[in-house]
Amino acid sequence: MSGLLLHLRQNYGAVLAITIFVILFVVFLSLHPRGPSVYVMTTASNTGAALAFVAMGQTLPVLTGGLDLSIGSILALCNALASEVVNGSPERVALGVVLVLLTGLACGLINGIVVVYGRIQPIIATLASGAVYTGLALLIRPIPGGEIDDVLSEAMTYETFGVIPTSLLLIVAVVLLIWVPFKNSVLGRGVYAAGSSEVAAYMSGVRVDRSKLAAYSLAGLFAAIGGLFLGFQTFSGDALIGVPYTLNSIAAVVIGGTSLYGGIGGVIGSIFGAYILRTINGVMFFAGAPPLAQPLFEGIILLGAVALAALRVVRIRNRLEVMD
Amino acid sequence: MTGKRPKPLLWLAAAALALGMAVNAGGALAQKPNPLPDCFKPWDENTGTISYPEREGPFRVALANGFAGNDWRIEMIQSLKAWARRAENAADIAELKIVSTGTDVAAQISAIDNMIAAGFDAIIFIAVNPTAFTGVIKRAKRAGTILVPFDNILDTDEVVQLNEPQLELEGTKARAVVKHMVRKSGKVLEVRGLPGNSVDRDRSIGMHLVFDPIEDVEVVTVIGNWDTGTVQKVVADAIATHGHFDGMVLQHGTVGAINAILNAGHDIVPIGGDGENGARKLMAKHNVPGASVTQAPAMSAIAMQAAIALLKGHELPTMIALPLPYVLSEDLEEGVNYFPDLPDVINLGSGFPACGTALTAAEVLAETAEDE
Repeated sequence: MSGLLLHLRQNYGAVLAITIFVILFVVFLSLHPRGPSVYVMTTASNTGAALAFVAMGQTLPVLTGGLDLSIGSILALCNALASEVVNGSPERVALGVVLVLLTGLACGLINGIVVVYGRIQPIIATLASGAVYTGLALLIRPIPGGEIDDVLSEAMTYETFGVIPTSLLLIVAVVLLIWVPFKNSVLGRGVYAAGSSEVAAYMSGVRVDRSKLAAYSLAGLFAAIGGLFLGFQTFSGDALIGVPYTLNSIAAVVIGGTSLYGGIGGVIGSIFGAYILRTINGVMFFAGAPPLAQPLFEGIILLGAVALAALRVVRIRNRLEVMD
Repeated sequence: MTGKRPKPLLWLAAAALALGMAVNAGGALAQKPNPLPDCFKPWDENTGTISYPEREGPFRVALANGFAGNDWRIEMIQSLKAWARRAENAADIAELKIVSTGTDVAAQISAIDNMIAAGFDAIIFIAVNPTAFTGVIKRAKRAGTILVPFDNILDTDEVVQLNEPQLELEGTKARAVVKHMVRKSGKVLEVRGLPGNSVDRDRSIGMHLVFDPIEDVEVVTVIGNWDTGTVQKVVADAIATHGHFDGMVLQHGTVGAINAILNAGHDIVPIGGDGENGARKLMAKHNVPGASVTQAPAMSAIAMQAAIALLKGHELPTMIALPLPYVLSEDLEEGVNYFPDLPDVINLGSGFPACGTALTAAEVLAETAEDE
């Protein structure tokens, strides 16, 4: 029992995010004229999926104490590329998906190299690389269009076994197959160590460089999955599709309880952070909130969530107590 | 499309297609003619038609707007509400829902999906992206919801959509500039809109169709992002670099361009510009020759008018080219087509007389941009 309590305490941010999400989602369903039908659930799941993937990606650089401002651009580049290569014969589609994922991974790796070996501030490094990725995306797809395989797209955006939204399964699969093994690996521990105290981690023999490279690379991979999923939703590509995603991903990470100073948090909270942002929209939609005041409400809820997450630190009288 | 991939989805798609055809065929039997042939004009000779089975009103209708942060969008929402408030239209409307979802395509898709799930009869929308709505169109068809995209045309012929023809819109401006150019030679400045946008591309093509055949005219192109401040800066820069222009064609930001001309001491040259009140005020004040052509925000009202005509079982073209609202410089008249007392940023020519809806500026401005 004390183990469970400790676990909850350590994941205070994520637990809070899950609680807020559940409350919001219940409100959303009660306001929705159709109620909790499969169609409504699938729509809700699809709506937040791309942002959830990008937010998962953003979590990793943030955990190292950095930030990735290019993540929306990587998403857009991968989305644009997908509209060129994820079509045709089943073999080509499969190859296209792999190519898109590798492209995201490569973009992330480049970010990591610039940050780690170029020793440039992550904010500036990724702002610059983001502009490059957007430029590439515009070269591939100057105006929105292209084609993404519709059979795969429908499979990914409808339900599995007729009841479970496939996008939800996809998120669970990514968490179980990528995040959990990574978090428990030496590289993953290094990400947390680097974010907590880079110097201490280095002195303790943690390969900080490798962990950071891995964090930025995985961020690119997650962004690629997000870009692919947006492609499944839209059956096409758009080089400018990523613009709202960078800042929203940071918001989702913060709401999800990951500290912007690094070292504390995880992708689970970020996923719920993303869905909280999306559910707020849905609630305001059916509550009849003035459309132009929507960003205002979003901002207020964001501030509230961050304030709640910060409460834990306020209670601590001495910063050293954080250590126990 | 064959081989090892899951078949059930193909069957589902086929079933949906068959259902859609059945719906169309059912509509064809009870079909009523185009109620306003001068307003709902087909785009070209290849444009097909669509009709749906007639339904009983009043209807639950919605507007799913994307981006909301500029005057044009706010006026677009105001126009729709002003139109819906008129007694003859209000009788057909049980509920009018208005949402704006921002620039994120996933948010707009989900808003429309939610509206479909909530059982709205018709949804009009300005797509954030012209290619992203294939899936939404399928789901709407399955649920029997009528979609009418406008302003940003989608790459489909499965729904009725409407817009002003953009080639013609920019062509009208360009022809007015040519008409007023003292010598049909020299440099003409083209101020484009937002790069990567299909409207920007089409307008530029329309402008070049007029000027490219004129051998002695060199077109200089700058990017104005459809933003008046940016336009003022790039026009000032262009004048500084090139010295003199014999005419200007602007997608947007005429106010900025005229200010730049005045600040630079450049002589007044023919201008083909947008339909903002401020632009017309300045054109009248400084005797700027040319034309002011509006991408009218009131097309939201016409889109809704079309949606309701479809709900009542009328047949409409799949792609409607709205008549262009424009004023030539020689026809500018205070209190008629520009208004010194009204804000500079409102877009004039908001009425489409051929559609029976000449909304007045006062009527539009009386509305808020909120959902009620």
